[in-house]
Amino acid sequence: MDYDSIKDGLLSVVDSALKYGSSADPDAEFEVYVCYQSSAEAEITQGVVAAKSGVVAGNAVRVAKGRRVGFACSSGATSERVKLSIREALGIVHGVSVEDERFPGFVEPRPPGREGVLADSILELDVETLVRDCQRIVEEAKATDGRVVMVSAEASAGWGGYAVGNTNGVMAASRGGLNLCTAYVMTKVGEERKTGLGFDIARDRAYNVDGIGRDATSEAASQHGASPFDATTTMTTVWSPRAAGAFLLASVGRSTLGRPVVEGVSPLCDHIGEQMASKALTIYDDGQDPVGLNTQAVDAEGSPQKKNVVIERGVLKGFLFDHYHAKVFGVESTGNCARGRELFGGNAPYESSPSVGTKGLVVKEGRRSPDDLIASVDGKAVLITEMPIGIFHSNIATGEFSAVATSAFLVVNGSVEHPLRSVSVAGHFYDGLRELASIGSDTTLTPFGVTVPTMVFEGFSVTG
Amino acid sequence: MIDTLEKCVEYGESLGAEAVEARYDDLVLRTLHRTDDVWKDIEVKSRSGVGVSCYYEGVSGFSFTASTDWADVKQAAERAFKMARASSGAATLRLPFDRGTAVESRPSDTVRVRAHPRDHDLAFKTGLVNRMVESAREHGADIRNVRGLYGELYGRKTLVNSDGSHIDWEFLVTDLRCVVTSRTDSGALVTGSEGYGGTFGLEFFSTDGHTPEDIGREAGLRAKEQLRAHPCPAGRMRALVENHLVGVLAHESFGHLSEADFIVTGGSPLTGKIGEKLGTEHTTIVDTGTPDVKAYGGLWVPYDDQGTPADRTVVLDHGTLEHYLHNRGTAKHLGQRPTGNARAVTFAFPPIPRMTNTFFVPGDLTEEEALELLGTGVYAVQTQGGQVEGDGSFLFKAIRGYWVENGEVKYPVREVSLSGNILELLGRVEGATKELKLFSGYFGGCGKGGQSPLPVGLGGPMLVMDGVVFGGRAS
Repeated sequence: MDYDSIKDGLLSVVDSALKYGSSADPDAEFEVYVCYQSSAEAEITQGVVAAKSGVVAGNAVRVAKGRRVGFACSSGATSERVKLSIREALGIVHGVSVEDERFPGFVEPRPPGREGVLADSILELDVETLVRDCQRIVEEAKATDGRVVMVSAEASAGWGGYAVGNTNGVMAASRGGLNLCTAYVMTKVGEERKTGLGFDIARDRAYNVDGIGRDATSEAASQHGASPFDATTTMTTVWSPRAAGAFLLASVGRSTLGRPVVEGVSPLCDHIGEQMASKALTIYDDGQDPVGLNTQAVDAEGSPQKKNVVIERGVLKGFLFDHYHAKVFGVESTGNCARGRELFGGNAPYESSPSVGTKGLVVKEGRRSPDDLIASVDGKAVLITEMPIGIFHSNIATGEFSAVATSAFLVVNGSVEHPLRSVSVAGHFYDGLRELASIGSDTTLTPFGVTVPTMVFEGFSVTG
Repeated sequence: MIDTLEKCVEYGESLGAEAVEARYDDLVLRTLHRTDDVWKDIEVKSRSGVGVSCYYEGVSGFSFTASTDWADVKQAAERAFKMARASSGAATLRLPFDRGTAVESRPSDTVRVRAHPRDHDLAFKTGLVNRMVESAREHGADIRNVRGLYGELYGRKTLVNSDGSHIDWEFLVTDLRCVVTSRTDSGALVTGSEGYGGTFGLEFFSTDGHTPEDIGREAGLRAKEQLRAHPCPAGRMRALVENHLVGVLAHESFGHLSEADFIVTGGSPLTGKIGEKLGTEHTTIVDTGTPDVKAYGGLWVPYDDQGTPADRTVVLDHGTLEHYLHNRGTAKHLGQRPTGNARAVTFAFPPIPRMTNTFFVPGDLTEEEALELLGTGVYAVQTQGGQVEGDGSFLFKAIRGYWVENGEVKYPVREVSLSGNILELLGRVEGATKELKLFSGYFGGCGKGGQSPLPVGLGGPMLVMDGVVFGGRAS
């Protein structure tokens, strides 16, 4: 399959699978999802080269008979493999009497949204080019600083599409792709090792290799000479975009998803319309930004993707839903059905049953530059520049988090004094949003797919 | 399928590859997930396909296909070879490996169980989950939510390589677990969980302490206990760390640093430290693919995905660094023996150095003696997982714990994080208890290089250590 014909090819498989299912059990409802993703990746780590390419193809079937629902999937996007999934899924609904009382049926047809853009150059990237680009990243990183002891460079390109159809008449498909390059650098002074990350990711243009290795090296080198933070205290913390992006995805990015909301596990579930955060905070999830990494015409069950406001001037406006959780909650799908982690590690999306995921969280930027925010710190603060480790291991039900910032700096009376050895940062996600002191103007797309500026929080505890 | 893999290896060699390995996985995965009275997932997955690695001048190329047709497998071999050759010029560090002795697998390489999940119908398995959820409800309090999970992964793994090896065995892991969320009077949510997973037949879930009723009861009681738990104090303290959490320490904080791909590239702080004393006499860490699963639990992995038989590798011996965890290329490069640690999460990924079952070796303390040795500090229990950085910094979450004073358990504490640097912490381990427990499962698993979740085993005894930083909150 090529990019131009991929939708027709996949829709044809879905169509014949639905006919096969209906003839196998005319009383059952069927939903068929078929995907095809071509990818090429190259990596150079300290001179060791590894390359990989191939096509991930697979299918997933949901069958419903009354309120009995079965899910089956298999690798492969041929009609034969889809038929295997149909037989397995029928085996589930025929084999057990388990019913899901809340099952609302499959998605009803609605007009699709827009696909994102795709640069032609992404379709043409081959492994040889990716390897060469990795070499350039490595050379730049090493040339930047003599203290570099390890460089790992990766470059990848992928494109593909999926089609989804059901016996309610949905028959839709969407395509996309992206290219990505990263540099991970370690610098060493004595026994002190520090790391830095540089990256570029895009779907509407070729990635830009220049500066990736330099940025990673500079970030690592800036952390040397770290002093211990010998205290346990509650203080101001300044989160640079990558750190703030992780905070946001670990908190709002999980607690506004349909499943924890409907199950009552999310502490936000009863608070629509209430002031839950500082008035400075507006967050939306955009599944229709033409250059957004997860932008598609339809989501993973065929609903149109949309732009959805989550928090507006601190007021909780809405949650993110797929069809199932939307109906249980009494609303319509927001087009947030996802299969697997689409952006990271989502190598076999067909293996995940439909769930709810963000498509592209965006925090509306403030007016002040990050330098200005730091300059306005009164007394002491800690600046956190990378994702604190362990932040995604927090519990969204309790809202409590505790994470270790390995890339942190002490700020005293408005100026960055020196790097700190690892500090533990702990607090409560939702108290933190209320205590959000200010938001920067430096909106940045982070490696987590969240677009976020620098954020300044009060009230978290910091332990050296 | 062996014939197709043989042809694939021959074809790769005919193109000019120095070595080829062709793998075929034919696996079934089943997930059952009930939340309260709703079945969230009843799923079955068929995962079958071929992965091909070609090695050329110490560089590897990898491709894969979900098809078993010769034309597609041949194309994958061709792509893998071309990538290896195209990448060769850019390599400044090559990891060639010598061809080894051909290995033939035996029927005994597959664990025989009395109640294989393939022989039991779906209703039996949903019944396990239902019994567990009911038991949790009976023994919990102020419950907001109960989740019951069952998982199974089994099937054939077949490999042919340029050594002339023919390997064919069956992977198996089953898992049953329960998570209870309760709500305190002040509205805070607390959780309790319990579960078991590993290379078990379903008969395991009818043994004492592991029945669905036992698992549900424990999860319910733990959530109930958390209703009266205090926040954990923050700061640097003494700790008694329970078996599962010790396993996470062995795996996340130390095991990853001993994976030889991080060693050959100099990324690990363990690089060049073979023979150095890193920990106290109480710290011995082992990795093995063939533990005594019946006695201790864990995961059975008799061969890795390059066709190397499992080994028992003593990574850290009474505090001294002895060995790394290898694929064949890293072993050759560093002059150590291959350890059977080249693993791939699915047919669509190349094998890279990964752990199998990684654990601290037990000591000689009873639990009472361990509490006495702890004196005053935190007894940290169970885990949600953890994370580690390249310099040895780590953070683990204990799901629950107890505050201990003068060897006496005083009161439960809430979810608490432990952090520090493993290379410093190993030097502060003061003692280990007698019993070894291994933990594995279908849910969770290890992530590395985009390959997640890979089933692994981990565990150990309980360890007493000084100077652990507990996150908690500032008082």
